[in-house]
Amino acid sequence: MFENHKIIKFEIVTQERVVMKEMIYQVTVPTKEGEITIMPKHMPLVAILVPGVIEIKKENGEVEIASVSGGFIEVLRNKVVLLADTAERAMDIDEKRAEEARIRATDNLKNIRQFDAEEYASISGAIAKELARTKAVIKWKKIRKP
Amino acid sequence: MPSAKVIKTRIKSVNNTKKITKAMEMVAAAKMRRSVEAVLRTRTYANLSWTTVINLSKAVGAAGSLHPLLTKKEKVRKVAIILLTSNRGLCGGFNSAILKKTHDSVVKHEKNKDGEKIETEIIVVGKKGMGAYSRYGYKVIAEFPKVDIASEALEIRPIASMAVSGYLEGRFDKVMVAFTDFVSASSQAPRIKQLLPVDVVAEKDHYLGVVGRDTRVGLDQEYVKKKEEKYLKEKKDSYTFTFEPSPKEVLDDMVPRLIEIQLFQALLESNASEHSARMTAMHQASESAKDLADRLQLYYNKARQAAITNEIAEISAGANALK
Repeated sequence: MFENHKIIKFEIVTQERVVMKEMIYQVTVPTKEGEITIMPKHMPLVAILVPGVIEIKKENGEVEIASVSGGFIEVLRNKVVLLADTAERAMDIDEKRAEEARIRATDNLKNIRQFDAEEYASISGAIAKELARTKAVIKWKKIRKP
Repeated sequence: MPSAKVIKTRIKSVNNTKKITKAMEMVAAAKMRRSVEAVLRTRTYANLSWTTVINLSKAVGAAGSLHPLLTKKEKVRKVAIILLTSNRGLCGGFNSAILKKTHDSVVKHEKNKDGEKIETEIIVVGKKGMGAYSRYGYKVIAEFPKVDIASEALEIRPIASMAVSGYLEGRFDKVMVAFTDFVSASSQAPRIKQLLPVDVVAEKDHYLGVVGRDTRVGLDQEYVKKKEEKYLKEKKDSYTFTFEPSPKEVLDDMVPRLIEIQLFQALLESNASEHSARMTAMHQASESAKDLADRLQLYYNKARQAAITNEIAEISAGANALK
């Protein structure tokens, strides 16, 4: 259908800003149905994302890592757009602080005295988000220092 | 004529006021710049979520029933208006303009198609919004604090969820949002837009923000059209999306976000308008303070001269008397 597309225009946007805008070869994202990798000539798709790590292979061969806390991915003809609730590039995340935030989030869960479904959902959402951030940082470090 | 001293004090106080208004003008200008940037930054997300919802509803609509937030209610009896106002005054006609617009619109749509009276309830955002109650006597069902520099869409989530749950539970048959559209630094226009039900097949005017010539906010029609042509059509064949897990689930997730981003944009628009309205108001205040000070300076000069003349007259009269 689109023979001459060898590269994808890729964008990560959140409600507040555009996090990333690059030309890439492929991207791996965590969706509700499992992790998927999108390469050029992928069929048009809209999928729901879950908190996790995004792996991007850029035009110049470099690999970049980002964390996402949920949202959507939209695959168009030669463009992939990620509508994220929050997203961060791994290079912008501070490892120590991410880990601290994760521990804080986990502690919140322990401190719940009464069971409140809404609160529980928001806390477990926060934990998933922080976990994704820490994972992203760890993966990023591994790639940079093999 | 008051004495030179009195006028001098007056001049001083006017000049002090001028300094204050000047400072406020500058603060407002800086804040305005920031809020305008914020509006522009959210545009990408807003546009993209709109196009996705439009595409989605096409896909789902063909297969079966639409999302409840996309379906119109047959009879409109209760309308909720989310009224975005400022927290502080001294911003010219900003608040009264939006209040008046809201009032006019309520009066205009007083009756539904069957001639029944429509009940209107107001959800107020910002302290000055209580004027809707005190001046026009509307029923205010909730009051939310307004953040002056909104940075996260999280901040409007409670308002959005109130509107959504109210609509789903049937407390409102329609939800509107009244906000001030930032057209340019010198002109802002109060507008009322439909938030719920989400109108996917609307005519030009219905998308939030896209009104008149200014298409900088909300959904950019051109953008959507171009995008469809560019990415969804190959020569003459257009193709459709695959949705994972299912169109319905994606839609369920996407629609509340769309509502949030729309409200968020309306808030950002209002903020930008408020700051630019305040900037203009304060600029005018500084100008008139300057005029007043100039006029008072003239009076002061006259009074001073009169006093001197008086004194000379008295001295020479005294000297004459001694002769």
